[in-house]
Amino acid sequence: MDRRAFLSSSAMALAASQLPRVATAQATPVGKPLKLGFLIPRSGTAGLFGPSSEACIELAVNKINAEGGILGRPIEALLGDAGGAPSDTVQAAQRMWRRDGVEAIVGEHGSASREAVAGALRGQLPYVYSPVNEGGYCTDGVFTTGETPSQQLAPAIPYLAKERSIKRWYLIGNDYSWPRITNAAAKEFIEDSGGEVVGEEYHPFTTDNFDSSLANIRDSGAEAVLINLVGGASVVFNRAYASFGLDKQALRLGTLIEENTLAGIGAENSGDLYSVSGYFDALDTPAALAFRKTYYDTFGVDAPVLNTLGQSCFEAVLFLQAVIEKAGETSIDAITAASEGISYSGPRGDVTMSGRFVNANIYLAKAEGTEFKIIENFGGIASGTTCSI
Amino acid sequence: MESSVLFLLNTSYAVLTLALVVLGLAIIFGLLGVLNMAHGEFVAIGAYCAFAVQSAGLPLILSLPLAIITTGAVGWLIEASVIRHLYKRPFDTLLATWGLSILLREGIELAFGLEYRSVSEPVSGSVRLLGVDYPIYRIMLMVALLIGFAALYVWYRRSNAGVRVRAMIANPQLATIVGIDTQKLARLAFAAGAASAGLAGAMLAPLVRIEPFMGIDFLLQSFFVLVVGGLGSLEGLFIGSSLIGGAESAGSTLMGGTAGYVTVLLISILFLWLKPEGLHARR
Amino acid sequence: MRVADLSFPVVLALICAVPFTMGEFTAHQLGLFLLYGIVAQGIALCWGKVGILPLGQSLFFGLGAYLGGSALIAYETQPVVLYPALLGAILVPAALAGGIGFLVFRRQVGSGPYFSLITLALTMLAYQVALSTDWLTGGFNGLSGIPSLPGTDPWTNLYWVIVLALILSTTVLLWITRSPLGQLFQAVSENELRMSFLGYDTAKLKALAFAISAGLAGMAGALFAAQQGIVTPQSLSYLLAGELLIWTALGGRNSLIGPVVGAVLVGMLTSELRNTVQSWEIIMALLFIGTVLFAPRGLAGLTERFLAPFAQKTKTDRDDLRTVDRPLVPASLRFKDVNVSVGAVNILRGLTLDVKKTGLHCVIGPNGAGKTSAFNAMTGRLPVTGGQIHWKEREITNLPPHRVARLGIARKLQVPAIFPDMTIGQHIDIGLWSTGLTVSEMLGQRAFRRRNEILDVLHDLFPVLGDESKRAGSLSLGHRQVLEFALSVIARPNLVLLDEPCAGLSTEETAELTAAIRQICRKFEISALIIEHDFSVIESLSDHVYVLHQGAALSEGSLEDIRADTTVQAVYAGGRK
Repeated sequence: MDRRAFLSSSAMALAASQLPRVATAQATPVGKPLKLGFLIPRSGTAGLFGPSSEACIELAVNKINAEGGILGRPIEALLGDAGGAPSDTVQAAQRMWRRDGVEAIVGEHGSASREAVAGALRGQLPYVYSPVNEGGYCTDGVFTTGETPSQQLAPAIPYLAKERSIKRWYLIGNDYSWPRITNAAAKEFIEDSGGEVVGEEYHPFTTDNFDSSLANIRDSGAEAVLINLVGGASVVFNRAYASFGLDKQALRLGTLIEENTLAGIGAENSGDLYSVSGYFDALDTPAALAFRKTYYDTFGVDAPVLNTLGQSCFEAVLFLQAVIEKAGETSIDAITAASEGISYSGPRGDVTMSGRFVNANIYLAKAEGTEFKIIENFGGIASGTTCSI
Repeated sequence: MESSVLFLLNTSYAVLTLALVVLGLAIIFGLLGVLNMAHGEFVAIGAYCAFAVQSAGLPLILSLPLAIITTGAVGWLIEASVIRHLYKRPFDTLLATWGLSILLREGIELAFGLEYRSVSEPVSGSVRLLGVDYPIYRIMLMVALLIGFAALYVWYRRSNAGVRVRAMIANPQLATIVGIDTQKLARLAFAAGAASAGLAGAMLAPLVRIEPFMGIDFLLQSFFVLVVGGLGSLEGLFIGSSLIGGAESAGSTLMGGTAGYVTVLLISILFLWLKPEGLHARR
Repeated sequence: MRVADLSFPVVLALICAVPFTMGEFTAHQLGLFLLYGIVAQGIALCWGKVGILPLGQSLFFGLGAYLGGSALIAYETQPVVLYPALLGAILVPAALAGGIGFLVFRRQVGSGPYFSLITLALTMLAYQVALSTDWLTGGFNGLSGIPSLPGTDPWTNLYWVIVLALILSTTVLLWITRSPLGQLFQAVSENELRMSFLGYDTAKLKALAFAISAGLAGMAGALFAAQQGIVTPQSLSYLLAGELLIWTALGGRNSLIGPVVGAVLVGMLTSELRNTVQSWEIIMALLFIGTVLFAPRGLAGLTERFLAPFAQKTKTDRDDLRTVDRPLVPASLRFKDVNVSVGAVNILRGLTLDVKKTGLHCVIGPNGAGKTSAFNAMTGRLPVTGGQIHWKEREITNLPPHRVARLGIARKLQVPAIFPDMTIGQHIDIGLWSTGLTVSEMLGQRAFRRRNEILDVLHDLFPVLGDESKRAGSLSLGHRQVLEFALSVIARPNLVLLDEPCAGLSTEETAELTAAIRQICRKFEISALIIEHDFSVIESLSDHVYVLHQGAALSEGSLEDIRADTTVQAVYAGGRK
């Protein structure tokens, strides 16, 4: 099906909360619709994460509405674009909050937008931030379900340092808070593993010529490159990286190289490339396999490939379901109180929230062509950040 | 030693591809005096042609004729429907072609979506050159461009068509009198400029990010080259490409990516202010 | 009151009704686009009134937003510091624009696209700077957590502050449009060269308009910071600049209210419909191209055409008689070995020429002798490559045109240079004002009442000048020659350069104009240097004749002397055109 036509028709169907695919087999939700806002990238450098995120949101909403909604209220999903500048994302958030009256917002976008949106919501609306993040922040009203550096890098860096005898690391990222703070954390883990950082650089999102960086990496004698680039920037970097033959010099470890990015990088450029994340399409735990089956059964084999960011949207809805049902209402105070210690089960397995961050399983995968192969399960890892309730 | 070989190769690559991208804009500005703000979108259409060809499972080389035909036809249509009315209104051509750029960009978005697309290189891997690994595709591209530009230069200087084109530039009224159909030539020139941009897009497709907004960067780069090099001559185009490509390459190697870009901007502003006719002006 | 004048009250009433009828979210959104509308008004001032097209107006909007945002963050609780700091958000962008404008315009006569491209490039530069100076601007994340103005809330009463700002901006612009300054702006856009030959420093006028527009943009930016609570480099980006320009064009670049309507209608609809109506942006692009092609004056232009029959102009009586107070000094002009070359061609080769007496002097010579080039050289239009030109013991070699004019040298061009879309009355005003206006005269209405003795004499000689509301563009060639002559002498220069004043006139018209030149120059002691081919004109206007040939002086003397001069006869033997 035409991707765009599908997107907008599904968005409208979602908004109207008339989902023909959902048979009225089980209890039909009868209460006042529960409006949830979703800020996901539909344009820009992270735009490639949009389609799978939309599909996952649809899947989650269908599933919960089929089960009778949350507190007997059917979910109505509203989508907003978070692919642009933080100020544009704020606009979308304000529209959802002030005009459309959403009762919670799920954000799957960059950390700059998160700070901006959280500032605009002033802690008055539950705001679930689902993607990979830098951790360490405790903004009011924000609940984080994605992976932090402590979860990704604390296990992955020592593992690679040991298995591959890596000492010299080069850090590269886009120029905003997530890559900078993640790299700051990475430096500690690298030092603890006995390695050193031989270079560090940050690029604006629009960069599409990494020639000088690649020359620097080459000259630095790096043995591993930690990549905190996002979406399109990551694709361009990784393709050039391999075409200059650098994949023979240094392995790559990405904190946000998911299936779409890998497809963009291409099989011929994915040599010696690792990714660390809580979820992969290739994950073969029973929970992940069940999720995968429903997803591709619903959207067909040509559906946008499943990945950690899409999955994070799905999981954010599960979290909201759990926390709202426990709280019995959607006020920020009740939700904040209910969030502590709450557990739910998603494609990543069992997830427990503590201090508004979660404890979840982490996996290391290696690219084989355009697919990932899980090579290590680090098990449940704490977020490293605990916010007061 | 090896670092400077790499720097030299990267700079040559930057300069040559820049000249390739600018060519279309230079043709249209030089011959018609139209600053085509939709230039970047023609490059984008060319890149999407490559994407379409590759997704259809066809050999990538087919993207070159497809891009030329597609962008040439679009250019022809645009000249006939919009540009033709505006030759005497420079501000308005600027605005109208700007509107066209939005139109084309939205058209691309409608057809291909907002996602990033990528085209894999027809030949992957690298070759060892003076001690450094360099991507084969880039080497091939650079060689092809060198040959292409040399041929173009010879044609431009020698051939009859070149003479006619230069006659039209030098004196449009006289050209009409001696029987050169300027209107037809203008349409042809616009289509050729568009096709050249499309060709550039198709050739660069495996090396750049492909998304609906990609055009703007190409437009701006090309702009700077024209500003610095002087408007409307092949020599100016090469001088401008070398200066801008070299400055960007040197700036980003010495001080990082942003610095390279800022250097280019500063050079352009100074030229626009102090020497707006550029280094190698037409007259 | 004209019907068109009602548009602002009507629009204002609609704007005021929104918070009560459409809720706080819509009002908040509307407030944002009203702010953009203020920026668009400034663009329209530059583009529609002065003829300069700023492509990067977001530079000043963003600068105002960053300055305003930083001030609000730093001095939220100290109103004594806060308000002056907020004023800085208006003044700094204005000063920056004024400076940039002056530097660029001083180097480049005409308002070509280079200025536009420079503003675009500067915006892109500012965007990069904002991205990379984390410590100052917060980088990509931007400045966030900006409080609203003290005592306001972005969702409720800040809206009224924005409405006040819109009223302020509209009033200022309306005031300017109707003042002499506005008339000077229009004249610059219609014929900048004519303005500089009258002694107006057009670079300063254009820079002033640019500064005003930047000040408005800065004000809107500061309010944007208060309303949105966040400022990112996006506020500086060329994409925003482009949108602002599109709104201005669609709303109407010659209008005051049009750009606001454009920003609100197009901008707000776009932000609403972008995500739901797939082809919305395609429709917008087509609409924009259509506007450029077929309706360059935009929405406002279309409604104006509809309302035109109702519009009428009011006429001010000229009851403020001024005496002409330029000191009377005998003319004294000296060319010494002047060389002018363009490319490889030497146009003037050691021209030496001395005008010592007040009176009427003719310059004759075959085509290509360098007559017009001599005029161009002394009025700063052609660079002098050697030698000197003196006027009353002062060297004027290579002075810019307006500085030469201010020394009392006026010039009438060969093809009459007038302001085609302005009325005869406006031409007279501009001529009268060329001796200088004070700031209060520039902004008041009093200067419209001026007249002087020369105007009275001109009125007697040429009744056509009495029809002050007639558009100059609709005049016949003869009347245009008269109008430009009137424009050149009305401020009583010491010396007027007349380049074939009677070209293209009938015999009667020629006799009339020749007589008028004689009468006015004699009566007001204006010297004239006249290029002429027509011997009937030369006969009646020559106290002294200079003959030029191949870029140098050939001969001079009374008409009889010249007629008797064999070298002159030799030059003219080949016949003259």
